[in-house]
Amino acid sequence: MKAKNRATAVLIHFILAVLAVIWLIPIVWLLVTSFSAYKGMNTSRFFPETWTLWNYKMMLFEPDTVAQFGAWFKNTLVIAIFTCLISTSFVLMTSYAISCMRFKGRKALMNIAVMLQLFPGFLSMIAIYFILKSVNLTNSHLGMILVYSGGSALGYLVAKGFFDTIPTSLREAAYLEGASEAKTFITIVLPLSKPIIVYTVISSFLVPWTDFIFAKIMLNSGVSENWTVAIGLYNMLNRNLLPNYFSRFCAGGILVGIPIGILFIIMQKFYVEGITGGSVKG
Amino acid sequence: MSKPASGNPVAGFFRAIGNFFKEFGSAVAKGDWGVKASLLISGMGWLKRGQIIKGILVTLLEIGVIAYELMIGFPYIAKLGTLGTVEQAMVYNPNTMKNEVNDYDHSLLILLFGVISLVTLLVAIVLWMANIKAAYELQKRAEAGKHINNFKEDISVMMNGKFHITLLFLPIMGIIIFNIMPLIVMIAIAFTSYDQNHMPPAALFTWVGFDNFKSLFTSNLTTTFGYSFWKVLGWTLIWACLATFTTYIGGILLSLLINHKLTRVKKFWRTAFVVAIAIPQFVTLLVMRSFFANTGLMNKFCEAIGFTGLMQKLGWVSTNYIPFLTDPTWAKITIILINIWVGVPYLMLIATGVLMNIPEELKESARIDGANSAQIFRHITMPYMLFITGPYLVTQFTANINNFNVIYLLTNGVYVTTDQKLAASNAKEVDLLVTWLYNLTSGQYNYKMAAVIGIMVFIVCALFTLIAFNYLIKGDKEEAFR
Amino acid sequence: MKKKVLCGFLAVAMTAAMVGCGSKADAPADDAAATTDDAAATEDEAPAASGETVALTVWAAEEDQDLTADLVEKFKAANPDQTFDIQIGVESESKAKDDILVDPTAAADVFAFASDQIVDLVNAKVLQPVQDTDTVTSENIPGSIEAATVDGTLYAYPFAADNGYFMYYDSSVITDPSNWDAILADAAAAGKKVGMTLASGWYNAGFFYGAGFTTQLNEDGSTTMDWNGTSADGIKGVDVVQAMLDIAANPAFQAIADGDLSNQIATGEYAAIVDGTWDAGAVQTAFGDGYAAGALPSFTCAGQQVPMGSAAGYKFVGVNANSAQVGWAMELAKYLTNADSQITRFAERQIGPSNVTAAESDDVKSNIAIAAVTAQNGANGVVQLVGGNYWDPSATFGETIAQGNPDGTDLQELLDNLVAAVAQPAQ
Repeated sequence: MKAKNRATAVLIHFILAVLAVIWLIPIVWLLVTSFSAYKGMNTSRFFPETWTLWNYKMMLFEPDTVAQFGAWFKNTLVIAIFTCLISTSFVLMTSYAISCMRFKGRKALMNIAVMLQLFPGFLSMIAIYFILKSVNLTNSHLGMILVYSGGSALGYLVAKGFFDTIPTSLREAAYLEGASEAKTFITIVLPLSKPIIVYTVISSFLVPWTDFIFAKIMLNSGVSENWTVAIGLYNMLNRNLLPNYFSRFCAGGILVGIPIGILFIIMQKFYVEGITGGSVKG
Repeated sequence: MSKPASGNPVAGFFRAIGNFFKEFGSAVAKGDWGVKASLLISGMGWLKRGQIIKGILVTLLEIGVIAYELMIGFPYIAKLGTLGTVEQAMVYNPNTMKNEVNDYDHSLLILLFGVISLVTLLVAIVLWMANIKAAYELQKRAEAGKHINNFKEDISVMMNGKFHITLLFLPIMGIIIFNIMPLIVMIAIAFTSYDQNHMPPAALFTWVGFDNFKSLFTSNLTTTFGYSFWKVLGWTLIWACLATFTTYIGGILLSLLINHKLTRVKKFWRTAFVVAIAIPQFVTLLVMRSFFANTGLMNKFCEAIGFTGLMQKLGWVSTNYIPFLTDPTWAKITIILINIWVGVPYLMLIATGVLMNIPEELKESARIDGANSAQIFRHITMPYMLFITGPYLVTQFTANINNFNVIYLLTNGVYVTTDQKLAASNAKEVDLLVTWLYNLTSGQYNYKMAAVIGIMVFIVCALFTLIAFNYLIKGDKEEAFR
Repeated sequence: MKKKVLCGFLAVAMTAAMVGCGSKADAPADDAAATTDDAAATEDEAPAASGETVALTVWAAEEDQDLTADLVEKFKAANPDQTFDIQIGVESESKAKDDILVDPTAAADVFAFASDQIVDLVNAKVLQPVQDTDTVTSENIPGSIEAATVDGTLYAYPFAADNGYFMYYDSSVITDPSNWDAILADAAAAGKKVGMTLASGWYNAGFFYGAGFTTQLNEDGSTTMDWNGTSADGIKGVDVVQAMLDIAANPAFQAIADGDLSNQIATGEYAAIVDGTWDAGAVQTAFGDGYAAGALPSFTCAGQQVPMGSAAGYKFVGVNANSAQVGWAMELAKYLTNADSQITRFAERQIGPSNVTAAESDDVKSNIAIAAVTAQNGANGVVQLVGGNYWDPSATFGETIAQGNPDGTDLQELLDNLVAAVAQPAQ
């Protein structure tokens, strides 16, 4: 039995190791290429010939017209912070109203929300662009924040699932003590919802870092200082630029990946609880 | 919420509308002069009963809406029928060094603001009618000698019984402005001639009825949309099934491995896989793309170990490289595999959470009954997983139908179709409906066909969701855990 | 909104006079009068506008940002009576159209773009016709003017004549760069490869242009091609396809994905490559002392040697007709493309000038890559005017050939399909 267990354990660890290598190879390639002294994409070897920190130095401290990582990072951070504030409040407000309150038209609202999400988002891109342009909000960070957070309430479902698991008795006790609905929401329900708040905050925070389609349309003045990290990096893969900027692109990818990675690892637990509708108490 | 007896939501909806009009009629008929004056000046009903602030606010809103419609709205609404008639004309004036432009019509802006103004107008009319009704209610309360709320009390109602209105106002406004309005406009575009030859501001476009839908289903010498649509739709559905299924199974298997009781340092393994998804997709997928290019590292590797030679001998590859991302069949396989790479870590996280939650005694009793681990997996673990993650699976399927990133980033600019009929309608074998839609808008500016395809995507997703929720996942588990 | 109303008032009076808009044909005559005293004219008009700061946006390629900033400063210095607020944005010349057409009114006042986009830009009425046609026409080489002219109107200011492709080769390996057979044989003997992009209608049309075939753009945005018939030179289209297939099937030949050329050069596996001046640096590094370039080689077609043609490409500066300061925008565009600016551009970025005087300089003539592109364009370069529906089908055609026609489709059918597909009107 013991021998069999040992064999199984070796087998499991072997499979896991192989899988982990497969999953990490692209990341490792990205990482080593970011330290490559060769500026373009080297397709003949995995590890760079000469190693250097130059790419990081250029990205962080010596911006040129193509790579202005510092400015992009700052823009994206500002947009992400406000997006996440607005989105989180919208999502929590909507979820509370739909989960904890009963009112006329509630079911209809839920059905409409499901329907709206079935349309591909790009479809409305050009219309949103002209709406924002009419109020002079294209090429502005405020406009980007509105684009990312305006419709965020549609993603209420996960948080609602969580609120559904908060026992009604808790709220009823609060009403009996004379608390208003608003007070119940803020003092009773919110403090119990830390996992879902963290989940919502992080997932809405991540949106501006990864979107390269909407941002490109909305920030169309061509002034590269105003870009977000995603469009800036994506632009580096332009065929004229790639031979000179690929290794810097990799460095940029790693630089964005670090903060997001940390957030992701924090989020792991809440992610699970969120998606499984709070039914998991693990 | 009192449901109509029939239970038919459509009939109930129309009955509710009927009631609304009936009540409005009786409010106008039976209302006192305050209510009747509200027909003109909305705040009158409230002012008469001493609700000064509310009365003023309502009147101000009315003035605002009327001013907007008169100054901006109506001119656009008036042109909605034709979407504009005056083409842009420009003449350079060397004296002012400027171009002189006529007062031309911009079809897209007419459509956009025409729709917005029209919707605003309709909502305003409904609110106006509701206001009359409410004023009449107030009158009845006053006649019955009941208490009439002052402004402060109204506010407290908004924080209490009607708190949902306070909560939902901004989020719903956001959805209306950033989702619903653009969506209505884009659906309308499916019925217009908005394409590269009819692009504002230089040219006008107009209504064409169902022509674009017809061309989506026709296939002849010059229009091949009919041919491409079915091909793309077919692959979209195959992709959605495969992508959902493979990542789901893969995620469960991986999490079983990681959470096996013999596995050491579980946290380390979990983190290793999570790291892979922490880097934004547009970075990792573009790296993958160069990895699997015809002249990329993977091909160099396959050549070195003799895999390419083997494939050539088997007749599976006719080129001196393996067309991982350039041959229809190979590309589809590669894309599915890469998608497993992308999707499995997420599923692994979820499955881990769910698996940890399976009551241990269930498994224990099965084991005592003599079940082996495969049987336990089939009869206990899987049903439990499916029960918890069923809704997630359904949304995952529709999300995969709309999975833009993986396909676009892996094939854009790399994959060239060899099917001339697909190429003629800007499609590729590996395109999903969404990537096709995107390609039609960016670079081709074929907005009309893109809008039609968008509607098709909606229909496909809606059909699937309806079927899934009605037959696969029965009932609403909303109250299950309270 | 306000702007529109204002423009409206201004324009209503004018509308009646200009609705016809048919005065375009005789416009050059008027303009010549208005612009012969061009320098003086701007000075004269400057006072009228002096109080107002002229705000302009310029889009230039990423690599040209610093250069453009310098030129803009010089432009400001050349117009001391006027205050400017000129912003420089990034937009690659090869994709300018894609971003401009989304919303032309939001695009830059002055922008650089590659010549293949001119038709789409003109159709969208984005380009302001050049007023000072005489100067621009006389100063730049005829090919560039032809490429910048649509329906008899000159729409853009040429600044580069090197946007074409030709053959780079390693002279230590390739002994006879004049024909494909010899080149492929030499490369094979040295264990090296010869690379070319086939899956692009820009590159693969070179074989057909060389054989005397044409592409023609129609009013409705469709493209007419005679490739499925017999050319003016008496060569059959199917023979050209067969010749391409023969080259593609040669083990020393490597079909390279569009846009992947520079990565491929760097691998050092190539002895010759069909590419353009933008990759000159990378090629020079790879070939070292053997670095050489010349016009495209001839190919064997039904037993005879046919010289390979090419799509002669140019780069232009265009003025956005939607610009609020279109007059100054034109002045700036003219300045950015004048002889001095082109000389500076060559000195700093090795961009082959379209200006006749600038191209005359010894430095330009001794530049290997630019000499090669000039030779290619002069011998067999064709100004490629095609519709938007040309690119995808022709890429498909090229990819089919690159893969060696795997389905064994009849070559005539292959061409017929291509011709039918590009004949679709623009949607």
